[in-house]
Amino acid sequence: MTDSTERWGKPVCVPGDEDREQERGSGRGLAGSMTDVDIYMDNAATSFPKPEAVIEAMADFMRNVGASSGRGAYRKALEADKIVFRARQAVARLLGVADVLRVVFTANATESLNLAIKGLLSPGDHVVTTSMEHNAVWRPLKAVERTRGVTISQAPCAHDGTLDPADMEALLRPNTRLIVMTHASNVTGTLMPVAEAAAIARARGIPILVDCAQTAGVHPIDVERLGLDLVAFTGHKGLMGPTGTGGLYIRGGLDLVPLKDGGTGGDSMLEHQPEWLPDRFEAGTLNVCGIAGLGAGARFVLEEGVERIREKEAGLLRRLLDGLSEIPGLEVYGPRDPARQVAVVSLNVRGVPAEEVASRLDREYGIMVRAGLHCAPCAHKTIGTIQRGAVRISLGYFNTEGDVDQCVRALARIAGRLSEVRLHADRS
Amino acid sequence: MPFLEDIDIAFIEPCVADPGRVRLYAEPSRDLAEVLPYLNAVINHATYNKDGPSLTFMKEFRLITIYPRRITMSKAQNTTDAWQVLDWLKDLINDTYDRRGSITPVHGVRWRPTALQIYEWLPRTNCKACGEPTCLAFAVKLLLGERTPQECEPLFLPEHASLRRAFFEIVAAFGYPAPPGYPAPPGT
Repeated sequence: MTDSTERWGKPVCVPGDEDREQERGSGRGLAGSMTDVDIYMDNAATSFPKPEAVIEAMADFMRNVGASSGRGAYRKALEADKIVFRARQAVARLLGVADVLRVVFTANATESLNLAIKGLLSPGDHVVTTSMEHNAVWRPLKAVERTRGVTISQAPCAHDGTLDPADMEALLRPNTRLIVMTHASNVTGTLMPVAEAAAIARARGIPILVDCAQTAGVHPIDVERLGLDLVAFTGHKGLMGPTGTGGLYIRGGLDLVPLKDGGTGGDSMLEHQPEWLPDRFEAGTLNVCGIAGLGAGARFVLEEGVERIREKEAGLLRRLLDGLSEIPGLEVYGPRDPARQVAVVSLNVRGVPAEEVASRLDREYGIMVRAGLHCAPCAHKTIGTIQRGAVRISLGYFNTEGDVDQCVRALARIAGRLSEVRLHADRS
Repeated sequence: MPFLEDIDIAFIEPCVADPGRVRLYAEPSRDLAEVLPYLNAVINHATYNKDGPSLTFMKEFRLITIYPRRITMSKAQNTTDAWQVLDWLKDLINDTYDRRGSITPVHGVRWRPTALQIYEWLPRTNCKACGEPTCLAFAVKLLLGERTPQECEPLFLPEHASLRRAFFEIVAAFGYPAPPGYPAPPGT
């Protein structure tokens, strides 16, 4: 096992390390090998560390169950079925979905968005989206534009990523068949007016698809109360599960053309995909091991409580934003307000390329963040960083105030302004 | 600690007559005999057979029979549907048990299936072999005691095995035994 010093080089010693492990909450049963010098702040890409229960559920499945779900009547196969059902039930509960059957598992949010977009749109249809979308929305839309002649309108968002729902409403046409939007930007964290957009969609009888990749598990969402028609989520971010898991909620009465056809288990006599959910959209052997982990992650979130998670992340975000505001020479994008965004912040250090900032944070300070365009060129165009990209800091439930303070100090050093910065943590 | 902690599916198979559906039996983690008369009072369309004992009812399109140590379900959409309905049933059983002090148990048969419900479980070929012009007419006569289940010949064809099992579960609940030589429904 390579230790952190070998991996990251000798870290610059920064004050405040001693309380970090305690503050991080080792009593929570975290898995992973976070050491004193690893500060993971790329939770918008995937959350880390994972709750120990997630690793245990996956290991238990691999060691003791192993069978495919929906494919047999022997005890282990039925146990696999039950694991999948319990995971589906936990996710449904988190999203505010009463009928568990309406939650379909996929490999990730991207597959879910593809299923929704390609399963719904036909030649001649028009779709409205926003200028803050991830490529997981934008590329499937561009694909159906090219292959099916679907037309796209992009509602313009402000420089901080915020959207005025009226700007979206103004784009609707008689042939608008779908509204697609993210719940929160993966670049700026900006929360989008999903409730208002859903009301507009409902009034016009247009289905609305919401990309919850950045919000499921970290920001409350009540799918049925909001009247959302399609909700794509990933399992490996806020839901704390492993990569390779995700899903799509599909409102009752709304049918999609399946993205894939194939075996679904007990209904082999049928020559076409069954009509019933979730089997209709789950052809092929499921990722039962991953889903076991996803179920454990979702149950962890349910036990902790989404509100509590949101509150903690908002507190860390406030601390980060306050710290960043004290460093001259930083450009911080997004609303800069925890009430209006999730715990994702993009920034640039004036005069230093984003990639260099991220690389120095990693090599010199053991702080893991992501630089570039974050698979979201639309969003970077909107905030004015399409050429240079940005450094994205995305906090998670297991980050600590100490992590945030170290990140601020490190950025202050990289900006060459540490002597000018009197951090909140230093004053208290 | 709830009265009933778990219900586990123990066997599942596709419905022969309806390959898009499944039938199954499940095992409760404890004996349910004492709660059946209370469930009979709570589920107002259930049929209770105190000699079994067993309690049969429809949950939308699914036919469910509860025995003390076994629960059977026919025509579930798929395993996910089955698990969801079993969860619902577990909650109903626990809620009924918790409220049993304020529920008057019903020990008698208090409901009979309608002709349409019986019709659902017939082959619906309108073959007239039984002497009735339609399967629906046969169902009505069956309810009136003027016909017996054995008079439906297509029901005994191999391709209707799944229908047949479910059919005898529902008619057993109002007094028709399974025909000689025919295996009793699971759990009896």
